Amino acid sequence: MMAKKVLHSLTLNGEEVQVASAAGATLLETLREDLRILSSKRGCNQGVCGACTVLVDGKPVRSCLTLTARCVGHSVQTMEGMDGDQIMATLQRHMVESGGVQCGFCTGGVLISARELLEDNPSPTREAVKTALSGNICRCTGYRTIVDAVCGAAEELSQ
Amino acid sequence: MTEVLSPGTIEEAVAMLAEYGEAMPLSGGATLIAMRNAALVEPSHLVSLDRISDLRGIDRTADGKIRIGAMTRHCETAACAELTGSLYVLRRAAGMIANRVVRNMGTMGGSVANADPAADYLPALACCDAMLEIAGADGRRSLSIHDYIDDWYETALAEGEIITAITLPAPVEAPSTYRKIARVSGDYATASCAMALDPDGQGMRVAIGACGPGPLRDRAGEDALRGKLGEPAAVAEFAGKLVAIADPVDDVRGSAEYRLRLIPRLVSSVLSELTTQKETA
Amino acid sequence: MKIEGEFEVEAPRTEVWKKIQDPQIMGACIPGCDSIEQLDDTSYRAQVSVKVGPIKARFNLLVEVLEEQPEHTILSRTSGEEGTRASVVNSDNVLRLADTDSGGTRVDYVADVSVTGRLGKFGLGIFRKKADQLAGQFVENFREKLGVTA
Repeated sequence: MMAKKVLHSLTLNGEEVQVASAAGATLLETLREDLRILSSKRGCNQGVCGACTVLVDGKPVRSCLTLTARCVGHSVQTMEGMDGDQIMATLQRHMVESGGVQCGFCTGGVLISARELLEDNPSPTREAVKTALSGNICRCTGYRTIVDAVCGAAEELSQ
Repeated sequence: MTEVLSPGTIEEAVAMLAEYGEAMPLSGGATLIAMRNAALVEPSHLVSLDRISDLRGIDRTADGKIRIGAMTRHCETAACAELTGSLYVLRRAAGMIANRVVRNMGTMGGSVANADPAADYLPALACCDAMLEIAGADGRRSLSIHDYIDDWYETALAEGEIITAITLPAPVEAPSTYRKIARVSGDYATASCAMALDPDGQGMRVAIGACGPGPLRDRAGEDALRGKLGEPAAVAEFAGKLVAIADPVDDVRGSAEYRLRLIPRLVSSVLSELTTQKETA
Repeated sequence: MKIEGEFEVEAPRTEVWKKIQDPQIMGACIPGCDSIEQLDDTSYRAQVSVKVGPIKARFNLLVEVLEEQPEHTILSRTSGEEGTRASVVNSDNVLRLADTDSGGTRVDYVADVSVTGRLGKFGLGIFRKKADQLAGQFVENFREKLGVTA
């Protein structure tokens, strides 16, 4: 069945966009299927795995649980719009260096969650990092290298 | 196909819910959209409450009560400095819901309306003797949290009604806290305990979560326990009454029997945490 | 998931047996049963609606009697699905009647139920609570049909 499409105006990675999406579409569907923004992944589509995490008005949210209609007039930011963000760049480098990326499916969501943590708490304990990433599921790494990367990035940023 | 409606006022919202039979109110979406994605619910219309300013914000009323708008996100409640003393229990519960990302989305009204027996707000609100403000096409009403849960996932909210705010008595200086036993950080509770001491330290209010369709509270038992908080036998007898009214499920988070065993331990350990706090205060 | 229980009614076994054989009476006792019809000697079709919180489902069920030992035992199988939504339910049922010392009847039932599909995602713990409630309601309705009260 063809779903009825509606025009939605929102700010995506700093640019005004108009996108035609199904009336009840989730932001994840709009991003991936209508805008071909592919950094946010569809894992569980239940808000559990964290792979679809993006920023809305600067706050991380699950794009699979957010309606596109709710984002009209709001600012959406994905990994594609993170160039030049110093915290993000540091986190990314540490993720690569410590082997926190394997298949990469969860990585974008992990980075966005970790970035929020470091903004709030520049020197978190390992325990705080684990708690902050509890909503991001990774099936490859076993998490240790991800926690190493976030702690390493925090240490470097606080110097 | 779901249509999304974005009313600007409470009156518009309840009128829309009354007009479309298969419409559902949408607050934060953290649960409802997940259910829709799984085809567990198939609403014709989602009446989005996020543009209604009357549903937002945490205020103190003229008589000192705290009024929390139904669309207040868990992250805002978890950071609210007004929730101190006897109301700290609610702030603490908010900070333990799921994870940071979900706390940026989920709302108190949505969580209360969904009435998941293992969710964190209901026991905390039962411990605070909260009142719910409710609006429907026939007008407004308020309801005690103690009269709210009817059955598993069934509440006193009628079809087409929404929660507009949660009102809490003025905070008093008395320690309170929320503790949850969960398999991993961010999971729903296997069992949870919301507790507040009386200001004189002689009595307490306690509500147990995830051990029945709604929070377990025994107010007569609390009265009988006043003055005897230091007597382990009296506390154990009181906890036994909570066990007697419990009706837990067997599920992946724990067996019913395990949950029943958690109740007395939660009561005694949270009580000793709060009495220590009171003594050192 | 096994749903089991027993109850006693102050009615002779022959009468209870007759009522259990009557699809219209059974249909009226099953909570949420919208309609029931007999297809042949051993099979029935029924529409049953259930609701847990905001989740509503309507099942199209086929009940087949596999074995009948008059006036004390019925083995049956229930199978069915929701209209367009993908949930499938299957259940093997045993119903036994026995005389009580006081001239009444004791009814024992066991149903081994499985639910798969969209409703299978919902916690089993809650399913059991709901099933036990429905069974309780059935017993209440059934007593009423026999003209006896608990």
